[in-house]
Amino acid sequence: MKCEEFEAIGLERSGVRMSEVEADLQDAAAAHAAQCPGCAALQESWQQARLALQALRETTRDAETPRRVEMQLVHEFGLRHRARKTRTAAIFAAWALATAAVLFAGVSWWNSRLTQTQGGPVSAGNGAKSNAPAPAVLPGDAFDEATLVADNFTLLPGSLPQEVDDSAIVRVGMQRGALSALGLPVDEERVSDWIQVDLLVGQDGLPKAVRLPEQAN
Amino acid sequence: MPGGMSIPEQDRDDVLLRRAAKGDEESFTALYRRHQAALYRFALRMTGNAWAAEEIVQDVFMTLMREPKKYDSDRGPVGAFLYGIARNRVMKHLERLPRELPLEETNDDGTRASEIAVNSFTPANWAEQQERSARVHAAVLDLPAEFREAVVLCELEELSYEEAAQRSGCPIGTIRSRLHRGRALLMAKLEILRDAPRRVSAATRR
Repeated sequence: MKCEEFEAIGLERSGVRMSEVEADLQDAAAAHAAQCPGCAALQESWQQARLALQALRETTRDAETPRRVEMQLVHEFGLRHRARKTRTAAIFAAWALATAAVLFAGVSWWNSRLTQTQGGPVSAGNGAKSNAPAPAVLPGDAFDEATLVADNFTLLPGSLPQEVDDSAIVRVGMQRGALSALGLPVDEERVSDWIQVDLLVGQDGLPKAVRLPEQAN
Repeated sequence: MPGGMSIPEQDRDDVLLRRAAKGDEESFTALYRRHQAALYRFALRMTGNAWAAEEIVQDVFMTLMREPKKYDSDRGPVGAFLYGIARNRVMKHLERLPRELPLEETNDDGTRASEIAVNSFTPANWAEQQERSARVHAAVLDLPAEFREAVVLCELEELSYEEAAQRSGCPIGTIRSRLHRGRALLMAKLEILRDAPRRVSAATRR
């Protein structure tokens, strides 16, 4: 074995990884060290170095990061994730608020439109279809027969004058043909015309009398 | 971390990391406690400076906290990922070191004030061991970074060549040769420190 080879193998031999060097090479290195004072000195020197390294390893074997680092990291972790949660909650709240505002505006607009279109076409009898809102209830006091006549109401067939007490006037949109369902005569040629009609609705919810608004005044 | 032991699913590093990324503090703490000591020892042995080692470990876990998605399980375990970050930070620290040295306080024997020694035996043993480890640590810290890393990984961390090569991201042959030259340089330095110059190995000549 040459000195250069010994440097590579002899140090391994004296190191912690003896198993990594084949046994015959170890023997050859030992034989070389016995004959070569320089390599023997090198080996001894390495053994000294190894002892020193071992001492260094021992002094730092149980070294750990100081506890304060963990505390700082955990604190930072908490801050970071709390901040993220808060941000998420704020974004969610902002969106919820915006949605609520849009809904409120929509409902307000719809209500105002509803108010404006009060008395518009509504479905009435005979399957007549309409997208119009519910019929508007007009203010009215108790009726009697004399008032009925004065207000141009026509009592519907089968209704008695005394049944109109505490009735309410309801203005509805309907096709003229629907009047026939109330027992009124209808011009065959104008059955599909839309008209507005005031109905006098009794406490039982049934119409008792009817008038055409143009007759009212 | 013992390699052969089977770890319950919920305690696996990647599972802990996933949970930590979602804000689970306990998982983050578990991950930290599992890896901090090894990272700290590596950083300490490479830099010889407790403050720097502490900062490096903190930096590693801050990176993990900020960018957990940087970890790619296809490229290896979480431990190796953390070690990779630590290694980068150590190398950066070593590059900056000449500018930082004058700011370090030094002891009478020339070792840095922030160097730590942990074990305590009898006062005489302790003093002797302190002196020896301070001397060898100074010699290790004098080695060029790549040789120092090989010596730290193979001699101090007691990793196999294969493990050391994996960690350093280089072939086993490179680790072997770095270790060989690192040892030779180390011996030469220790000889000089002992005022007993012997044969300077061919390995120390570049």
